[in-house]
Amino acid sequence: MDENRLTNLQERRRRRNLQVTQELTVMMFTWEFPPRIIGGISPHVYHLSKSMAKNDVKVYVVTCDFPGAPQHEVLDEVEVFRIDSYKNPAPNFATWVYLMNMNMQKEAAALVKSLGGKVDVFHAHDWLVANVGIGLKHVFRKPLLATIHSTEIGRRNGIHSDYERMIHETEAWLTYEAWKVICCSDYMVSHVRWAFGLPEDKLVMIPNGVNAQQYTKNKNTNLSQFRRKFALPEEKIVLFVGRLVYEKGIHVFVNAVPKVSEKVNAKFVIVGNGYMKEPLSKLVKSMGLAHKVTFTGFVDDETLGNLQRCADVCVVPSLFEPFGIVALEAMAAKSPVVVSDTGGLSEIVEHDVTGVKVYPDNPDSLAWGITKVLLDENYANRLKNNAHKRVQQNYDWDKISQQTKAVYKAVLKEYSKSFWA
Amino acid sequence: MQVIIFSWEFPPRIVGELANYVKSLAVQLVKSNVETHVVTYHDYLTGPREEPEGTKTHRITNPVRTHIGVLTWVLTLNQEVERTAANIYYDAKKQTDLIDAHDWHFIPAAVTLKKALNIPFIYSVESLEEHRSHGANSPFNMAIKSIEWLGLYEAKKAIVKSEWMRDEATRIYKVPTDKIKVIPPKSTAWMKTVLQTYKSVAGGAISK
Repeated sequence: MDENRLTNLQERRRRRNLQVTQELTVMMFTWEFPPRIIGGISPHVYHLSKSMAKNDVKVYVVTCDFPGAPQHEVLDEVEVFRIDSYKNPAPNFATWVYLMNMNMQKEAAALVKSLGGKVDVFHAHDWLVANVGIGLKHVFRKPLLATIHSTEIGRRNGIHSDYERMIHETEAWLTYEAWKVICCSDYMVSHVRWAFGLPEDKLVMIPNGVNAQQYTKNKNTNLSQFRRKFALPEEKIVLFVGRLVYEKGIHVFVNAVPKVSEKVNAKFVIVGNGYMKEPLSKLVKSMGLAHKVTFTGFVDDETLGNLQRCADVCVVPSLFEPFGIVALEAMAAKSPVVVSDTGGLSEIVEHDVTGVKVYPDNPDSLAWGITKVLLDENYANRLKNNAHKRVQQNYDWDKISQQTKAVYKAVLKEYSKSFWA
Repeated sequence: MQVIIFSWEFPPRIVGELANYVKSLAVQLVKSNVETHVVTYHDYLTGPREEPEGTKTHRITNPVRTHIGVLTWVLTLNQEVERTAANIYYDAKKQTDLIDAHDWHFIPAAVTLKKALNIPFIYSVESLEEHRSHGANSPFNMAIKSIEWLGLYEAKKAIVKSEWMRDEATRIYKVPTDKIKVIPPKSTAWMKTVLQTYKSVAGGAISK
């Protein structure tokens, strides 16, 4: 076959492919994706990809492996590729991350090539996949977008060591290389601007979403029977969900327990794990309140959903919170919320309308908020009905994926005028 | 023929023996009509420039300034190597024939460029972690060894400077002997053999 004919054939094939494929193709990089769940990025990328696929975006997700999960699968029209992420021994977590990026980049490069380069944008979630996104951006000359879910300077309340500074600078590098940086709250937009000195027009706010249907799905569960596993019928349930670490303010919650118990007969249920679990359960024992506080550890999605549905109040006492998805989940599950007035929580909750806001890092204020909700049933009902409506209006994944798609399109329009196109 | 050389040291940045070796290699390649680009690290002499002997050097710096060790430093530097090499490749209308990566530092970039853009690479072994670390097997040493293994596995050919090193690479990483070419630097046939090896590898390049 002579060369001209070959080129013509390829050109025709290319045009035909353009007609049948979806209008946009994105490759997402994330270090966690279900069934691998470490924090909030995993459910975020899962729901975002799923709803994007419904909105005619072809989505490839490249992520780390997980025991029992296949290397390649199609999940609700999303193509998921899991790479061998524990191939290389590593002296510490950050070095593991960079080595994992080396392997992910190698696999993703081969994948993009096998697709004939037909990927329109790369989308990286947090510094954990900074290297793979940045490298492939330059190698394939395609635009890169980044979602910054959280920052090192925020997580640690400042930068205190070379290790933390290295991560901070990697985050800065990712935002520098990204065409647009997506954050999930106005608070995060200004925090990221401040932390990395970014121009205003580089940042886009798209809220995180919550899947409200998941709380109506298991309606046949007998909630009052389920409830008995955690509390006596006369006890109110005060629920905390989150990693048991400093920034989540779990110590503030535990210190509020005796103050609430003075006025209300309640059971405090703490869901999650973390390095503060042991010291805090000792503290609870020394307070003589061990019979009023339950540490459940990590629970499965169904148990969590049911707990959120039967809780009399859900408490989010975080000191630093980029978004606060647990507050949103509680609102979707029709549980009243008490949150600390900080970060993304300040925007999700409207005080006295969709929840109660209290002073961060203040057990007295937190106890006041919890007590107020538990003692006034009409007030609690009003809050949870308003909150449920608000969630459906503003935090719907379908709407969020359309906003994200619009950002991709705007970036591609600018890109088409660049010399890379 | 167009070649991109990766080396973490190049004059005036001299860490060990490799810097001057790579310089003489680049100069001799230019004399043999090979378009030679050197991608290397330098903290402040950054950017592309023409050197007097006709080689083109591209000095890059690390976008992440603070590090906890040579491994993290190397692994973030690799994306800058990729960026620079990709720019050379696109500027050359995708006619880059091969990459010659010296030692393990920029192996991750060479592997990505091979997978993404079909540019084959040679791994030129100056030394191996097994000998540098005197048998130490901490996770740090093992991580470097895993990168050396990856390089030898993905490379089209490996060049070593002595028969002893060939035997060591075979012993440690189980590389087939015929994948390794022994080219002693001081030998009379040095440049001729280097060029022959380059040509045998460049044959695999597909210009798109």
